[in-house]
Amino acid sequence: MINMNPNVSSVLPNTTIGGAAQKSAGSNSNFVDTIKNAQSQLGKVDDLQKASDVSIKDLLSGKSEDITSVVSAVAKADMSFKLLVGVRNKLVEAYKETMNMPL
Amino acid sequence: MKVNGLGPIDIAISGMRAQGKSMELISSNVANAQTTDNGEGEPYRRVEATFKTDGDGIGGVSIDDVATDMTDFERIFKPGHVNADEQGYLAMPNVSVPEEMINLNTAVRSYKANAAVLKRYQSMMETTIELLR
Repeated sequence: MINMNPNVSSVLPNTTIGGAAQKSAGSNSNFVDTIKNAQSQLGKVDDLQKASDVSIKDLLSGKSEDITSVVSAVAKADMSFKLLVGVRNKLVEAYKETMNMPL
Repeated sequence: MKVNGLGPIDIAISGMRAQGKSMELISSNVANAQTTDNGEGEPYRRVEATFKTDGDGIGGVSIDDVATDMTDFERIFKPGHVNADEQGYLAMPNVSVPEEMINLNTAVRSYKANAAVLKRYQSMMETTIELLR
């Protein structure tokens, strides 16, 4: 299950963006690790998306009549996707900022 | 404290589901308020849902049991009725429609409350995600 803890560092452990995590002693993680961590969450978000898709299809095809389960699946998929997009935007932003750094 | 991000969604949904079920029972009670034969020679007995918390203490709600109201039937004098007894009395279901209307209101409000919790929780999480921008 996606951890929606407001503390984003639990989603992206030892993240190096923002500099706040620089303090974590002996952090040997880098940007690639951060991306990989985000990738592992990607699968979970995708699972929720698929689950919501299936529940919508079940409802429309008459296989299921439980509209509340559709609401629940869609709410979960929506929320986790928004978090994913937020994290992705932040990562891309950090990457761009680094790339645009005048050397 | 660890916040389980999807927990409140499940809990709110379980509340909505439980109230939906209880509304089903209320509609059954109202529909059968005049049913003098439930198929077993007895008038319809009103049913009521009893709720139970999922998990220990904190969690969603589920229908524990559908309890049958065992209060006495109201007997009215109606000699011509097929289901009337020798004295001409007819046992009517122990459903009181005004009472069911109150229960219906309670169920609707509770359903709305759960939906409001879900909505508020979503907007709360959106506020959190907004901080990323």
